Amino acid sequence: MASLITCPHCGTRPKEEFSIRGAAAPRRPSPAARDEVWHRYVYVRDNPKGRYEEYWHHAAGCRRWLVVDRDNLTHEVFGVTDATDHLTAEAGE
Amino acid sequence: MTSYRLDAGGAINRAQALTFTFDGQSFKGLDGDTVASALLANDQMLMARSFKYHRPRGVVTAGSSEPNALLTIGSGLRAEPNARATVTELYDGLVTTSQNRWPSLKTDIGAVNGLLSPFLGAGFYYKTFMWPASFWEKLYEPLIRRAAGLGKLVLQPDPDRYEKCWAHCDLLVIGAGPAGLMAALVAGRSGARVILADESFTLGGSLLSENVAIGETPASEFAKRTIEELASLPNVTLMPRTTVFGWYDDMVFGAVERVQKHVASPSPDLPMERLWRIVAKRAILASGAEERPLVFGGNDKPGVMTAGAVRSYLNRYGVAVGSRLAIFTNGGSGYRTAADLTARGIKVTAIIDARQQAPDLGPDGVRVIRNGAVVATKGRHRLESLIAERAGFQEVIDCDALAMSGGWSPIVHLMCQRGAKPIWSEEKQAFMAPNVGGAFVAAGGAHGADTIYACLRDGAAKAAAMMGELGFSAYQATLPEVEGEYDPSFAPVWYVPGAKDKAFVDFQNDVHVGDLGIAQREGFRHIEHTKRYTTSGMATDQGKLGNVNTAGIVAGMRGVSPAEIGTTTFRPFYTPVSFGALAGAARGEHAAPVRTSPLHGWAKKNGATFVESGLWYRSAWFAKEGEKTWRDSVDREVLNVRANAGLCDVSTLGKIEIFGAGAAEFLNRVYCNGFLKLPVGKARYGLMLREDGIVFDDGTTSRLSEQHYVMTTTTAYAAEVMAHLEFCAQTFWPELDVRFVFVTDEWAQMSLAGPKARIILSRIVEDDISNVAFSFLAVRTVTLRGGLKARLFRISFSGELAYELAVPAGYGEAVADAIMEAGREEAICAYGVEALNVLRIEKGFVTHNELDGRTTADDVGLGKMMAMQKADFIGKRLSTRFGLTAADRLQLVGLKPVEADKEIKAGAHLLKENAKPSLANDQGFVSSACFSPTLGGFIALAMLKSGRERTGEHIVVWDALRGAEVPAEVCQPVFFDPDNTRLHL
Amino acid sequence: MALNLLHRHVLEDHILGFHGGANPNHLSVVRRPVIFSVLAHAGREGQVREALAKAEDIAIRACGPSEWLAVSQTAGAEHVAAQLSAIPGVSLAEQSDGKVLMAIAGPSVRRILAKCVAVDLHPDVFAEGQSANMMCCHVVANLARTGADTFEIIVPRSFAGSVFEELTEMGREHALTASFLDA
Ligand SMILES: [Zn+2]
Repeated sequence: MASLITCPHCGTRPKEEFSIRGAAAPRRPSPAARDEVWHRYVYVRDNPKGRYEEYWHHAAGCRRWLVVDRDNLTHEVFGVTDATDHLTAEAGE
Repeated sequence: MTSYRLDAGGAINRAQALTFTFDGQSFKGLDGDTVASALLANDQMLMARSFKYHRPRGVVTAGSSEPNALLTIGSGLRAEPNARATVTELYDGLVTTSQNRWPSLKTDIGAVNGLLSPFLGAGFYYKTFMWPASFWEKLYEPLIRRAAGLGKLVLQPDPDRYEKCWAHCDLLVIGAGPAGLMAALVAGRSGARVILADESFTLGGSLLSENVAIGETPASEFAKRTIEELASLPNVTLMPRTTVFGWYDDMVFGAVERVQKHVASPSPDLPMERLWRIVAKRAILASGAEERPLVFGGNDKPGVMTAGAVRSYLNRYGVAVGSRLAIFTNGGSGYRTAADLTARGIKVTAIIDARQQAPDLGPDGVRVIRNGAVVATKGRHRLESLIAERAGFQEVIDCDALAMSGGWSPIVHLMCQRGAKPIWSEEKQAFMAPNVGGAFVAAGGAHGADTIYACLRDGAAKAAAMMGELGFSAYQATLPEVEGEYDPSFAPVWYVPGAKDKAFVDFQNDVHVGDLGIAQREGFRHIEHTKRYTTSGMATDQGKLGNVNTAGIVAGMRGVSPAEIGTTTFRPFYTPVSFGALAGAARGEHAAPVRTSPLHGWAKKNGATFVESGLWYRSAWFAKEGEKTWRDSVDREVLNVRANAGLCDVSTLGKIEIFGAGAAEFLNRVYCNGFLKLPVGKARYGLMLREDGIVFDDGTTSRLSEQHYVMTTTTAYAAEVMAHLEFCAQTFWPELDVRFVFVTDEWAQMSLAGPKARIILSRIVEDDISNVAFSFLAVRTVTLRGGLKARLFRISFSGELAYELAVPAGYGEAVADAIMEAGREEAICAYGVEALNVLRIEKGFVTHNELDGRTTADDVGLGKMMAMQKADFIGKRLSTRFGLTAADRLQLVGLKPVEADKEIKAGAHLLKENAKPSLANDQGFVSSACFSPTLGGFIALAMLKSGRERTGEHIVVWDALRGAEVPAEVCQPVFFDPDNTRLHL
Repeated sequence: MALNLLHRHVLEDHILGFHGGANPNHLSVVRRPVIFSVLAHAGREGQVREALAKAEDIAIRACGPSEWLAVSQTAGAEHVAAQLSAIPGVSLAEQSDGKVLMAIAGPSVRRILAKCVAVDLHPDVFAEGQSANMMCCHVVANLARTGADTFEIIVPRSFAGSVFEELTEMGREHALTASFLDA
C-alpha cells in the first residue's frame, strides 16, 4: 500500500517518489586501483539482512541522491541524509 | 413463523420500508437493516449452501466474520458475488441471489456430496486426484470447480468509478464501539486530528447491540450523542462504511470506503468505492472481540448462531431469530442473551451450560442444564430441536434457534500483519494483541476488556496517553457509569466429542474436527501445515471465527496449551477488497499517464498512426490515401527523405541542460569520448558507458556557451541518464561545479532531413545556414522569420543533410506547419519513427536494439571513440578486461539475404551454413531488420561472433519461432553512402 | 516572408467549448506564464535563496536545495530573466513552454488534492507560501499553497493533458469546473 521516506529536503513522501540503487557503502575506486578492488566495487555486494545504508534517489522530488539508513527486513528507517552531506561527514571522520 | 420482526426496538427506521428480492422472491425490509437482518425478519433462515458438502446454512454472526451467509448482491454488470449478508446494507430495489446450489437453495443436487462426505475429508483431493497428471487440468479440476465453489464473477468491465485517496492524522481510531468512541472523543477534544473509521454504516459497534445503560441513557443513545459531538469537532473525521484492512510500513493504513454500495442508483460523479491510504502518527485498534462458536455435532444447522449475533439481531435490528431458543454457553454471554430474549417475550427453552459451576436457574426462571453439552441438532433446512447430554443422559430440547457462546477472542488481525504473532493468555483464554510499539495499540475488546465500562475506560486512557506523547494537553474524560453489565467470564470448551454428525470448525471451508484429527495423524502437525492440509482458515473469511477454535482443538489433541500451537500468519486484507478499489482510476487508457509531444497535433493533422513508446505517443508513420499497409507509407517516406526532404518529430528525445565551471570536465568523465575540447557552437556524438564497460546510452551534446551545454539522450533512457548524471555529480565528484535541469518539455524539436532540407529551412530561418556558415555539427541560436528565437543543430540520424530545429513547445505545431508549407514545392513529407528506423539501419546507426546492455563500444564498431588517454571516465577501467575485448565477441555486421526479397526479422539467430541449431552453434542474432526501399531489398543489422572479419561469408538466419530460414551474406553495417558525402552537402 | 506563428497551449484540446461560469471549486489554467528553472551553483545556495526572495513580480517555487522555479504572470520573460541573471551564482533555463501552470481553488480543494498527492496539505503542515516538488496524479509536479484554499500546480507540458484529465475527474464529486484564466 505504501512506505514512507522522510527526505531531508522535501519531507515525508511515499516510496513511489524514489528509486533505489542499492548499497551506499562502496566507494568508486581510483582509476589505478587493482583489478580486485574494481571487481568488488562493480560486482560484489554484501546484501545483508537487517540494517544498512542504501542510496535512494528522490526522483519525483528534489532530485537529490539520499543515503537511507534502514533495516531492510522491518523497513525501520534510522536516518536519511543527502548523499553529498553524507560523503562530507564521512570525510570529516 | 419462527424468525420475525418485533413490534418495537432497534436502531432501524420503521417508517422507511425497503423492498428487495432474494432468489427472485420479493421481501420487505427496513432502513437500517442488513440483508441478513431483513431476511431473518422475513423468516428466511436458509441463506446458502456450504462450499464442499452443500449443506444448508444460515447466518452464524451479525458482522464481518460471517462464514456462511455469502450472497450475490446486485444484478447485471453490478452483480457482486460472495458478499456477506451480515454486513451488506439493505437498499430499496436490491437484488440478492443465493450461491453454490442447483437447481435451488432448497433442493440442491450438490448436496449428494454430503452423502459422500466420509470420503471427502482432509487430504482427499491431494490423495485421489494425483494421477494421471494430465487428468488434473482436463477433468478433475473443472469438475471440482463446478461442484465446490462460491459465486460467479461478472466477466464484463465494471461500470463504476473508483478512487484512491490519501489522509493524514494524529490519531486513527479503528472501530467505533465503546473504546473507539471514547478514544476519538478524548483525542478530538484534545485538539488532535482524528480519523474514526468503522466498517458498519451505523457507528456504535457493540453499543448498538448491548442492552446496558450508560450515564442513565441506553447504550445506543449514548453512542448517538457521542457521534454527534464528534461530528461537530472540525478536527475529527468520521468514516462510516470504511474497513481498515491493512497496516503497512511507516504507520500507513489501508482502508476501503464503500461510498455508494448502499445506493439504489449510484451517482456517476461519485466513486463506488474509495481506497484510502491513511498516514497516522498514532493508531488505536478498537476492533472489539469475536464471540467463538462452540464446536459440536451439527453446529452448522441454520438457526445456530453466536449468542452475540442473537442479541445484535434482537437489540439493533428488532428481529427475533426464533420463537423458541435454546442457549449453549460456557459463560455469561449466554445468560445475557436469555435475559434479553425473555425481556422481549421470546421463549428460551433451556440454557445448556458447559461449566460445572453454573447457576441453577437462568433469567426469568429459564432452566439450566449444568455441565451439559449439545451433541446433535435436528431439522433439515433449519433447526427443529437438539439433543443435549448431561452425565451420559440425553434429552431432546425443543427449539427453532440456538444461541451459542464459546467465549471471546480479541480481534487483533491488523496488529499481526507485519510479522508480530498474537500471544496466548491463560488468564483470558484467548490470543491477545502483541506489543508492536507505542504508536499502534489495542484498546477495549481488542485488548481483552470484557465489559462496556472497561472498554470506555481503556479507550479514553490509551488516547489520553497518546495525546501526551504527541504534545497535546490531553482532555480528561469523566467516565459515565454503566448499568446492567453481565459477568463476562467463561471457561473454554474447545469441542464436544463423540458426535455422530460433523462438528464444524471452519464453516466456510467445511472443515470439521475429524479433518483436524486426520492432519495430526498424517503428520501435518504444524499449525501452518494443518491449515493447508485441511484448508481450515483458508476461505475468504480467513478463519475469523474458526482459527482460535482450530488452535484450541489441535492443542487438545496434542495435549498442549494453545500457546504452543500458535496461530497462522496474518496478512492483509482483513476482509476482501475489490480489484476496482485497488486499481482506483488507473483503468483502461488511464492505467498510466500519457505523454504527448508538442507536435502531436501536427502529426495528427498529417495522418499519423501513433505508437506507444514508454509513456510517449510517437508518430510511427503517416498514411496517405491509397496506401494499404504501413510498409507502403514507410517506403514512400524513406524514399522521399532520400530524394527530397522529410520532417520528423524528435521532441521525445531527452534534453538536459548542463551548467557550470565544471561542466566540461564532468562531461569528459561521463562520456567515453573526449569532451574537453568541444568548441562553443558545436555538437558532438557522445557515448556513455556503465561502470562495467558496457554501453549505457548515446546522444549528442552541444556546447551553447563556455559553461552551458545541452545534452540529448535517447527517448527511452532520458530519466535513467539524468539520474546517472546526478548520481555522478552528487556522489563521485561533488567538487565539480555542475548543475542539470530537464528541458525535454520546453522544446518542440523536429528533424528536417533530405537533400532539399537547406533550401526549405532557409525560407524559415533568417540566419545564414550555408554549408560554410553552418557546417556539419554546427549549433546556434537562430531567429525565425518573424522573430522567434530557436535552436538549430546540424545533426543527422538519416545520413542525409539534416537539421534539428528546436522551438519553444507552444510554437511547435505552427513552426512544423510553416516548414511543411515552405517545403511544399520540394515535395516535403512528414515521416515517422518507422521511416527514421529504416533510414538509420541503412546507415548502420545503432539504437538500443544494438546497445542492449550487453555490447561494448567496440562491439558496435565505435571502439575508436574511446579516449583511453583520459585519466578516468565511467566504464574505462573495466572496459579493457579480457571478457570485453575477446576476439570472439559478437560484433556489429550488416546482413543481406541472398535472395533480396526474403525477409529477415529482428530476433532471429545466426548459424553457420549446414550447422544444426543449438546453443553451441549459435553465432549471434539479428538486432534490427527492415525492408530498404533505397536498396530494394531486405537488410539487417546483426551481432555476429567475430563479425567484422567475416564480411562476405554466407550464413543462415534461423528463425524457428516464425518458421523461417533465410540464407544471408555478411556485409559492412553501412548499406548506403558509406563515405557520408550526403551529410556534408 | 515573415512567419505568423500561432502559440498553442497544450490544454486547448482539453478545455473545449464554453463553460457556464466557474463553480466554487474551479481549476484555472494560466495561458502564458513566464517560468524559469533557477539553479544555484555550488556554495551559492543560501545567497541565491535570499536574493530570490527579494525578486519583484516573481513567485519562487522550491524544487530542491539548489533549484527553484521562478514564476511570473505579470512580468515578461526578458524582465524576469534580467532580474534573475543579475543574481550571482545562478544559471537559468526557460521553462515557460515546458511547464503548465494551473491554479485550483475552492472549499473542497484539499479533498480533491488528497486524491492526487500523497503529501499532507493541512495548513499546519503545508502552510501558505510553501511549495515543493511532488508526485501529483502520477506525474512529477510542483505544488504551491498560494492561499487558504488555493494551490498552484506546475507540471511538465507533455504530461499536462493526463494530469488535467485526472484532476478534473477527481474533482467531479465536488463539481470542479475548469477554464483558461483569461476565458
Ligand atoms: Zn527530496
